[in-house]
Amino acid sequence: MKKLVSAPALFAAAGVLLVTGLLLAFLYSPMDASTMGYSQKIFYYHAPIAETALLAFGISFVAAILYLRSQNDKWDRLGVVSIRLGLVFSILVMATGMIWGKAAWGTWWDWEPRLTTFLLVCFLYTAYFVLRSVVDEEQRRATFAAVFAIIAFIDVPITFFATRFLPAGMHPTVITSSGTGMPGSMFVSFFISMIGMTLLLVALIRRDLGIEELRDRVADLKHSIGG
Amino acid sequence: MTIEEGAKFVAAAYAIILAVLVIYYFMSARRVNALKRDMELLEQEVQRRPPAAGESGD
Repeated sequence: MKKLVSAPALFAAAGVLLVTGLLLAFLYSPMDASTMGYSQKIFYYHAPIAETALLAFGISFVAAILYLRSQNDKWDRLGVVSIRLGLVFSILVMATGMIWGKAAWGTWWDWEPRLTTFLLVCFLYTAYFVLRSVVDEEQRRATFAAVFAIIAFIDVPITFFATRFLPAGMHPTVITSSGTGMPGSMFVSFFISMIGMTLLLVALIRRDLGIEELRDRVADLKHSIGG
Repeated sequence: MTIEEGAKFVAAAYAIILAVLVIYYFMSARRVNALKRDMELLEQEVQRRPPAAGESGD
């Protein structure tokens, strides 16, 4: 059972990379020369968390399709877990983004394309859990949730490409098809943090999947003894 | 913006990240412990119960 609910090697690897990325960000990467100044240091976790949140929603999209094809509960569990973690990461993106916005632009919030579409992502995936809570029958709940997860995912690429196709906003586009838009000494810190955050997501998904399986087993046992 | 002013924003952002991740990790750890306890209690209950009529009992 211990193996089922823990992923110590992944957590350790994620921790090492995240701490390394952070140390490099503060000790090796230069201070941003633009108006952002020191507050640009927020970028080294803010951007990886944002990419990881969108990755989690991508995983839920794939899980939803696989569930509708197979009706296998494991894909429903993966959908729930990845959306829950995607929301946790999204909350972090919004919070750190607002702090960075205040420091860099002088305002906590602006209704520009990237921020607005990301807020919409948060609302859509919060609605996913509201939907799950109002359907009692397990298979119907999983089916409705899978369909909703597919529809909600439409906003994810819109959010990702918002700064590229709708350049009217204040949010910068750092990585484009023509390059990273930052010196190598900044990119190495960002890249290590990015890998660390992705590993953290994988570790948390593994752990939470174990919890969901355990929860299902407890529910089955309760059912079998008439609890 | 001075480095000191910027540092306050940076510290706030990283503090929020750390707090949320640590709280999430420990909440899920508590959940695991609670579920394991439930599982053990339920398994004990299943073993304690006499087999229902029609069951072989082995």
